Amino acid sequence: MVKIQESQVIITVSIFIATYGIIISEKIERTTIAMVGAVFMLLLNILSQEDAIKHIDFNTIGLLIGMMIIVGITKRTGVFEYLAIKSAKAAKGEPWKIIVFFSIITAISSALLDNVTTILLIVPVTLVIVDTLQMNPIVFLIPEVLMANIGGTATLIGDPPNIMIGSASNLGFVDFLVNLGPVVIIIFIVTLLILKIIYRNDFNATEEAKAKILNMNEKIAIKNKPLLIKSGAILFLVILGFSLHQKLGYESATIALTGAAILLLISKIEPEGILLEIEWGTIFFFMALFVLVGSLEEVGIINELAKKLLAITKGNLFITTMVILWVSAIASAFLDNIPFVATMIPLVKGIGAMSTMSIVPLWWALALGACLGGNGSIVGATANVVVSGILEKHGNKISFVEYLKIGFPMMIVSIIIASIYLKTFYL
Amino acid sequence: MRKFINSEAMQHSMKLLQLGAKVQQIDSKMCYVEFCIDGCKLEYVYNINSKGQYFLERIKPYPLPLKVFTLEKDVIESITIDMKQFKDAIKSNNISGFLEIGVKLNIVLKKFEDLFLYYNIPKTEVDEIASVITTLENKIDKVQNKSKRICFFKEPENLRVDKK
Repeated sequence: MVKIQESQVIITVSIFIATYGIIISEKIERTTIAMVGAVFMLLLNILSQEDAIKHIDFNTIGLLIGMMIIVGITKRTGVFEYLAIKSAKAAKGEPWKIIVFFSIITAISSALLDNVTTILLIVPVTLVIVDTLQMNPIVFLIPEVLMANIGGTATLIGDPPNIMIGSASNLGFVDFLVNLGPVVIIIFIVTLLILKIIYRNDFNATEEAKAKILNMNEKIAIKNKPLLIKSGAILFLVILGFSLHQKLGYESATIALTGAAILLLISKIEPEGILLEIEWGTIFFFMALFVLVGSLEEVGIINELAKKLLAITKGNLFITTMVILWVSAIASAFLDNIPFVATMIPLVKGIGAMSTMSIVPLWWALALGACLGGNGSIVGATANVVVSGILEKHGNKISFVEYLKIGFPMMIVSIIIASIYLKTFYL
Repeated sequence: MRKFINSEAMQHSMKLLQLGAKVQQIDSKMCYVEFCIDGCKLEYVYNINSKGQYFLERIKPYPLPLKVFTLEKDVIESITIDMKQFKDAIKSNNISGFLEIGVKLNIVLKKFEDLFLYYNIPKTEVDEIASVITTLENKIDKVQNKSKRICFFKEPENLRVDKK
């Protein structure tokens, strides 16, 4: 019996390491290899199909799908194009002011929407403004990608790691906003100031280009005003619902899916087209990861890792929090933070079960580390990869090292601020 | 990939709206069709969209302008007829000369467009070009009248055929 358990452990760890290794190497598309790994866990009887389904966090899945539907409908209104032109005109075409306005729009949007979605909405409109100003798009897009990851850190729904953490920890939308919002604002301001210094020589636009910006018409960007009103109202109600979901006794996925269903109903848009906009690859990636990590839990690996971490930190809350924050940040700078957080969640829960310490600061450390860590390198977050791809197609390739020189120090600064914040208020 | 397509589409829409256009973006699938008949490449491109319209264009051996169909069977039928006609035409001894003229006519059309868009042409010159075109049209009609018809499964779309 013991031998069988040992072999199960070896098989599980081997599949897990091989799968994560291939995800990191990017040799095979991440969803494909995660699904292959998850299926192997089933075929080799590490998990039964029933247990595998139990390990899938449908709150995370439902929340992601619900928000993707709402965004898929809202973006058809042209509201992002409107905001971009309006703020560029308000900035009178001055590049630095436009960057500040776009950074604020990006951070707020990213706090309310998934940050990849935010990037996919803000980057195209930014490129139109940048083309009009005849400037280097990198100067605009690097701040946006940094702010998308920073803004997304502030809320439960802003970044997939937070959705997973919220679901696993029973921490709600308001908990995230109250506990992470203040530090995110500080990090946002500091990052913006550093960016101003870094790009101080790049904010040159001709008067002719600025005049072109002022001649743009934001009103014609709105393609469907009634739809804008409906989407805006639903988005507002959904955010209100998130703020009250714990009091109302509903899971966050219920709120998001309710908003999505009502918006589909009142917008009268053909659902097929909207459902096509859902990033099914990401959804299946999540489900496969839940099965992979669930397998590790089933064979007891996660508990062993939790014990080892507690032995290293000797159960000291400050050291444990700092280890989780910094390890999460460095790991998330180079690895996909979704699988990393998926693995860390049961580990943190295990620490909570084995010790007397309050694990709430550990959840904040994990959220801050995993979300902000994504800024560390061009591969640190999906939003960065998407921007890099769009820039390349636009003829402005940004190299790994070129991004690293800006992103990594920025990430370290943000983690230092997060460390001070956690030490001051939680440890 | 869909992410990048959507990003591009959003930029195009925003730029074109600012130029004063009305922009509609419709989900569609682009189909490339390629035949190789006795070494001669015959290529088509058509677009199937969610509004039930089919945009068909021949791109090789020489481009032929767009046709819009509302039925899927019409697209396939149009390609089938075109392909059959080329299959027969390719057996002719004059095929290389025919293809060369087809390509040249396309170049002439493009040059004429450039001439019109980039220069202010005196009326006498425009009349002279029109007269050359009429001569060419008449020549085609003459050649048609003294040549033996070989394809009968469909009536020509542009040449006049006298019913006997």
